[in-house]
Amino acid sequence: MADTIAQNAAHYGAPVTLAPELEIKHYTGVMDWLTTVDHKKIGLLYFWFVVIMGMIGGAMAGAIRIQLATPGAVWEAVTAAHLNGTDVPYNWFSENRLLYNQFVTMHATVMIFFTIIPGFIAFMNYVVPLMIGARDMAFPKMNAFGFWLLIPASILMLSSFFVQGGAAASGWTAYPPLSLDGMHITPGQDMWVFGVHLAGVSSILAAINFIVTVTNLRAPGMTWSRLPIFAWATIFVSIIQLLATPVLAAAVTMILMDRNFGTTFTVFEKGGDPVLYQHIFWTYSHPAVYIMILPGFGAISHVFAAFSRKRLFGYISMVYALGAITVLGFMVWAHHMFTVGMPTILQAYFMYVSLLIGVPTGIKVFNWLATMWGGTIRFTTAMKFACGFICLFVIGGFGGLILAMVPTDISLNNSYFVVGHFHMVLVGGSVMLLFAQAYYWWPKMSGHFLSEKAGSWVFWLMFLGVFVAFLAMHISGYAGMPRRVPVYYADYRFSNLLTTVGYLMTFLSACIFFVDLFLSYRRPKITVDDPWGINDIQHSFEWATSCPPPVYNFAHVPPIPIVEQIAHRGENP
Amino acid sequence: MVRLLILLLTLPMALVAFAPSARSADETAVKPEQIEAYVHEFNPDIFKLNADGTPVVPMRNAFSTPASDIAQDVASNNTFNLLVYLPFLILPQVLLVIVIFKFRDRGDGRKPATFMTNHKLEVLWTVIPCLALVIVSVPVWKLLYKMELPPTHVDTNNPDQATIIKVTGMRGPYSWEYEYKAEGMTVHLDAAGGQEPMVIVKDRVVSLNITSNDVNHAWWVPAFGVKKSAIKGRFTNTWFTPTMLGIFKGQCAELCGDGHGIMFISSVVVDAEDFRVYRLLQRHRADTDRIWNILRPGPGVEIDQPKLQEAVAKYFEKDTSEGRKFALRYWVAANFDALHRRPQDKATLDDLKLRESQQRARIETLVSSVAAPAAPLAVEAAPAADSAR
Repeated sequence: MADTIAQNAAHYGAPVTLAPELEIKHYTGVMDWLTTVDHKKIGLLYFWFVVIMGMIGGAMAGAIRIQLATPGAVWEAVTAAHLNGTDVPYNWFSENRLLYNQFVTMHATVMIFFTIIPGFIAFMNYVVPLMIGARDMAFPKMNAFGFWLLIPASILMLSSFFVQGGAAASGWTAYPPLSLDGMHITPGQDMWVFGVHLAGVSSILAAINFIVTVTNLRAPGMTWSRLPIFAWATIFVSIIQLLATPVLAAAVTMILMDRNFGTTFTVFEKGGDPVLYQHIFWTYSHPAVYIMILPGFGAISHVFAAFSRKRLFGYISMVYALGAITVLGFMVWAHHMFTVGMPTILQAYFMYVSLLIGVPTGIKVFNWLATMWGGTIRFTTAMKFACGFICLFVIGGFGGLILAMVPTDISLNNSYFVVGHFHMVLVGGSVMLLFAQAYYWWPKMSGHFLSEKAGSWVFWLMFLGVFVAFLAMHISGYAGMPRRVPVYYADYRFSNLLTTVGYLMTFLSACIFFVDLFLSYRRPKITVDDPWGINDIQHSFEWATSCPPPVYNFAHVPPIPIVEQIAHRGENP
Repeated sequence: MVRLLILLLTLPMALVAFAPSARSADETAVKPEQIEAYVHEFNPDIFKLNADGTPVVPMRNAFSTPASDIAQDVASNNTFNLLVYLPFLILPQVLLVIVIFKFRDRGDGRKPATFMTNHKLEVLWTVIPCLALVIVSVPVWKLLYKMELPPTHVDTNNPDQATIIKVTGMRGPYSWEYEYKAEGMTVHLDAAGGQEPMVIVKDRVVSLNITSNDVNHAWWVPAFGVKKSAIKGRFTNTWFTPTMLGIFKGQCAELCGDGHGIMFISSVVVDAEDFRVYRLLQRHRADTDRIWNILRPGPGVEIDQPKLQEAVAKYFEKDTSEGRKFALRYWVAANFDALHRRPQDKATLDDLKLRESQQRARIETLVSSVAAPAAPLAVEAAPAADSAR
C-alpha cells in the first residue's frame, strides 16, 4: 500500500516522505508474486491456479470417460472377475475398483472447489475493484490469505491419492455411512474434509472482502442503482458464500468428528441420522450451485452489452432476478433428496419452489436476448461464448425443470440424466461463462489479446463437445443408467461412446486455450485503455485505465457519466 | 424392440404350453425341458449379449416402456409437463438464432438501437412462465400423493391383492435381500452367490419396504417408475402394480462403495399361476440345499454316492409328492445354471462341464426311484408345515 500512497501522493504533487518503519521492502520476481496483496496480482494468481486445477480435473474426467467408453466392462464385472482374469480391455479400474470412485469424487471436488468457484473469484478479484473505481480490495492482506489457503487445500486433496487407502471415495457429497468407511485406517476422507474446510475458509474470506469492498469503496457518485451488474452479482454471490459455506463446514465436520472422535451425528446405531447430514449438506450445496453461476450471469451481461453496442436491457429486473435467485436458492435444497423418504407435503413444497427458480432465470435469459436485439453484434470469441452459453444453459435449465417434478425426479434421481443436467449447466453454463470472461477481460488482465482465430476453434470445439457429451448423458439417464458406476448394462453403450467423443472435443478445446494463454504474451502489447472499443457504450471503469492497470488502478477516479444515471433508473434515454 | 416383442409373446405361450402338464396330478414325470423353462423364467440371465453386442434382455424405462401403473402415470405426467415446458426451450433458441443472423454487425454503419427497458415485455416474460408453472403444478400434486401414500384401492394384508416385500440392500456381496413375509420366503443369492431376481405378479400391487444393512443404497428398476433410498435404520416405502409380463433390469442408484456398479437388480413379473409354482419351489429350497451341498461340484472332487443316496432318501422321508420331486429337480438345474453363469473359477467351470450331465442323471435316477406320489402336486393348498424358512 505504501508505494500506492506514495505514487498517488506524487500524482497530486504532494511531497511525501514515509517514515523508515513504514517503508515496505519492494520485492521483485517470484517473491513479488508470493507476497503481493495487490488485487490484480491475486486475481491473476487465482486465474492461473484455476487453469491448472481445471486441467487436472479435466484429465480426471478423461480417465472416467475412457473407462466408460465401452460396456465390455459389464461382462468383466460379472464373469471375468470370477475367472481370475482381467482379459477385458478398456477397464482401467478393474484392479482397484475403489480407484474409480476416488476419481469420481476428486473430479467433482477439484472442479467445484478449485476450478469453478475460485474461477469466478479470480475475475471478481481482478475486475470488481476496477469496476467500482476502487484502488484495491477493502482487506488486501485477507485477500492474499484467501488465495494462499487454496494451495494447501488443493495439495491436501490431491496428495490424498498417495496415502493408505487412497483419496476420498464417497462422492463429493460424502454421504455417511459410506464416508465413514475406513475410519481410523484410511485418512483420505479426513484429508478431503480438511481440504473442504480450507477451501471454505478461503471462500468465506473472499465473500466478506467483496461485500465490504463493494459497500464501502465505490467511487463517489456510484450509488447502488448505478452499480455495474457484475458488482451486483458479486454482492449476491458473496452473501450466498458467507451464509452457506459455514453450513458445509458444519456438515463435513460432523463426518470428521464421527470418523475420528467417536461422535454419533450420523451413526444410526448410536442414535444419529444419516439423512440429517444430507439435509445439512444440501443446505450449502444447493446455494453453492448459484455461487457457481451468478457471477457469470453478471459478467455475461457486460459482454452482451459491449459487443451488441447497446446498453444492458432491464437493469432493474436483472438485479431483482439475481436477488430472487439468491433468496430462492436457499429454500430448495431437499429437491436433491426426493427419494430418501420425506413427508409428501415437504416434497410438494420443494418441488414448487424449485420450479419457481426458473422464473428469474428465464427473465435473465430474455433480458440478454433483448439486450442483443437491435444491436450491431460483433462476434468476438467472448460474444460467441456468451451466445453458446445461452443455447446450452437453456437446455440445461430445461433439464432442471424436468427434474424439479417429483414423480419424474423419482425416476431420474441419481441417474445420468442428473449428471447430464448439472454438467450442462456447469460446463455449458459456468465454464462457458468463464471462457467468455477470460476472452473479454484477458486483454485488460495481461495487456495482450488472446488469439481470435484459435478462439474460434476453442469455442466451436467446446460448444459442440459440451452439447454432444452432455446431451448423450441425458439420454443415458433417461434410459436408466445410474450415476457413479464404473460398469453399465450394454444398453447404454452408444450414448456413452458419444459422451466420450464429446469429452475429447471439450478437452482438446481446453488444451488449445491453455496453449494460447502462453502464446498471448508473445503478441504485441496493448497500448490503449479500451482495446475492444466499447467503453463509449459501456462507461465501465475498468476500461478507463491502462492494460494492465497500474498498481494504483486510477490516478483520478473517473467521473460517473451522466448517461449512467438515466440508464439505470430503468427509463429509456 | 422386435426381440422384446417376441420374448413377451413367447413367454406366456411357453408357460401355457408347459405349465399345466407340470402341475397335472396324473403325470408322474416332469420333462427336463419344463424345468429348464422355469429356471430361465424365475432366474433369467440379464447380462447375456447377442452376437452383435446388444443385450438379450433390453433395459426398459418408465418413459418409453412403462411397466407399472405408476410408471404409466409418471410417463403421461412427464409428457404433459414437457409439452408445457417446450415453448420455453424453443423460444430462446429461436430468438437467439434470429438475433445472431439479423443483428450481426455487417459494417454497413447501421446504428444500434438504444432502448433499455420495455415494461410490458418484462411483465409478460415474468407472468407467462408463472402461468406455465401453475398449469404443471396441478396434475403433479395428485400423482405425487398417489405415489407417496400407500395404495388405497387394495387390501394390502391380503396376499392375493398385494405382495409386501421387505427389501434390504447390503454389501458383502453387493446384493438385495427380498423378504416375502406373507408368502413365507426370503430370496437373496443363488448357488453361485449372484443376485436373484424379485419375482412379482402381474396386476398385483407390490408394496416395498426398503432398508439397508450398512451404507445407503437405492432400489431402482426404471421400468416400474419407482426408486427409493435404502438407509440403515429407516424404512422407505413405495408401491406399484406391474402391468407387463417380463424381465426388468435395474441397478443400485446410490454410491455404496467399490461394488456400486455391479449391484444389479432384476425383477421378473409372472402370472399368478407361475407365482404359486415359484412359492412352492422356494418352500422346498432349504431341504434341496442340503442335497446340493453334497452334489456341488468341486475341481476333481468325486461325489460321495452313499451320502447322496441317504440325503435324497431323507429328503423324501417327509413327503414324496410330485411337487417335492419337481422342486428337487428344479433346484439342481437352477443351481447348475447359476454356476454356469457365474463360475467361481476356471477349474470349476471345466469341472462343471465335465460332470453336470452325470450328476443330473444320478439325481434323476434317485428321484425316479422314489415310490409313487403320496399326493398330487399340491401347490394351491400348500400348508406351511414344510416351509423352507
